[in-house]
Amino acid sequence: MSGAATARETGARLAKAQPLNAVLHWSQELLDAEGARVDAMPAGSSLAAMPVALKDNIVTVEQPTTCGSRILEGYVSPYNATVVERLRAAGAMIAAKTNLDEFAMGSSTEHSAFGRVKHPLDPSRVPGGSSGGSAALVAAGVVPAALGSETGGSVRQPASFCGVVGVKPSYGRVSRYGLVAFGSSLDCVSVFGRTVDDAARVLSTISGSDPLDATTVDRAPMRVPKALPDLRGLTVGVPKEYFPADLDAGVSTALRRTTEQIQGLGGEVRLVSLPNSAYAVPTYYIIAPAEAAANLARYDGVRYGKRRIGPEGDIRSLYRTTRGEGFGEEVRRRILVGTYVLSAGYYDAYYKKAQQVRALIADDFRKVFDSGIDLLLTPTTPTPAFKAGEKTEDPVAMYLADVFVCPMSLAGLPAMSLPVGRSEGLPIGAQLVAPHFGEELLLAAAQVLERTMDPLAEVR
Amino acid sequence: MNIGLDEVLHVAKLAELAVQESEFRRLVEQMNRIVNYVATLDEVPGDRIAEPFLAGPQSVKLREDVEAAVPLARPPAAMAPEFADGFFLVPRHGAMEDQ
Repeated sequence: MSGAATARETGARLAKAQPLNAVLHWSQELLDAEGARVDAMPAGSSLAAMPVALKDNIVTVEQPTTCGSRILEGYVSPYNATVVERLRAAGAMIAAKTNLDEFAMGSSTEHSAFGRVKHPLDPSRVPGGSSGGSAALVAAGVVPAALGSETGGSVRQPASFCGVVGVKPSYGRVSRYGLVAFGSSLDCVSVFGRTVDDAARVLSTISGSDPLDATTVDRAPMRVPKALPDLRGLTVGVPKEYFPADLDAGVSTALRRTTEQIQGLGGEVRLVSLPNSAYAVPTYYIIAPAEAAANLARYDGVRYGKRRIGPEGDIRSLYRTTRGEGFGEEVRRRILVGTYVLSAGYYDAYYKKAQQVRALIADDFRKVFDSGIDLLLTPTTPTPAFKAGEKTEDPVAMYLADVFVCPMSLAGLPAMSLPVGRSEGLPIGAQLVAPHFGEELLLAAAQVLERTMDPLAEVR
Repeated sequence: MNIGLDEVLHVAKLAELAVQESEFRRLVEQMNRIVNYVATLDEVPGDRIAEPFLAGPQSVKLREDVEAAVPLARPPAAMAPEFADGFFLVPRHGAMEDQ
């Protein structure tokens, strides 16, 4: 299909999906321009006329970037993120900027200043977060792929809730130039896809070193994996700590079926242990807010964004009022926690302790992979998508929605969520985890499972 | 650990964040909830250590340290709340405060 026709059809789908509140910026005019641009490109581009949506914390010249925050309302970046340049060069069309938890802080996309995103299958439920807008758009069939960002599971968790593929690459695999910083030792641009192949093609396009981001790895871009006939020769570890007694019955059944499927396809399944993963959520909620408190110091009403001046009329009042009024509740809470754990007298007790435990968590993974395990299999989330408002009053309950996805972020590992069934109509994701830079094996194994499992099958 | 209102307000001042009186009770409650939760890391003995975690590759290749103009689609003046003669404009500094 031509770019022009794709632009028209995508625009129609975006208009129809408006009740989801998944999109913050799009216009038919910009889509048509994208269609005309790709039609003028030489034939054979790897993502020819694929419409791709971007989480609204990835900067673009043509559309605003708000990060779901009032403090950046109306801000338009003077440059494109590297991932945007790479997608466009490969023939993809930038379709829309998607809604998110403010500054990517949240697990339900209820913390957006522009209203919550609704789950495409049940509007009373959340799509997960923080990349909930991107997940919902792919799940609703509006776009075949979308970019999100992960700091502690913000693509895999909503992918699981919405029943789509979500892939977080190894830390350093994809450039973050133009991704608005939240937790710099954790942030990764990540990918949603309707299928594993869609996600793999997009990830392959955006991966690779970037002179504009010194944290990217100096190695060749990831290749789209070759199809495997089965899983023979593969050893999959199942960490016992990720299957607690109170795990949701539907999730538990879906994962048991996935394990049996791996064995049926010739893979060996071995029980393993990652004892320090139990501490991943508290570790994350020290390190990520600490880094966020530093990164978000730049929003002060001086160089860009909204400005508010308090009654005192001086510069301190400008900083405090701009930030106090511009940031939403969850962001302010995390800035306060981050500032607290870094402050004199508490640094050793919290931040230094968290760094100690982070090393232990990463070391567990290292030992398991060194023992001959090729991939790990866990649930992506402890439950299917929860109801809107269910966890907003208790921040810790919300944080625990990421209990199975945080550890890999702390260890910088590639991991993905694959839809493997439904429980009472709601999607369930299985998480696969690979050693550093093992994305090709990760995606190849996921393709085999995708080919042989029915993601719409009821498991209860 | 129990965090009181004074401490929350002190941290808010460090973070340059205005906090409304109507938020005080909720903020104190939630800060305590979060800080007490993350303090569960105290269960991990201090002498259990592993090789320090390094975010990213251990051999990050740095680019040449040369100045180059960053190509921008629009100038800082287009983004700044107030800008004149090449400067970002801000209000007066006011009196210095004790931290």
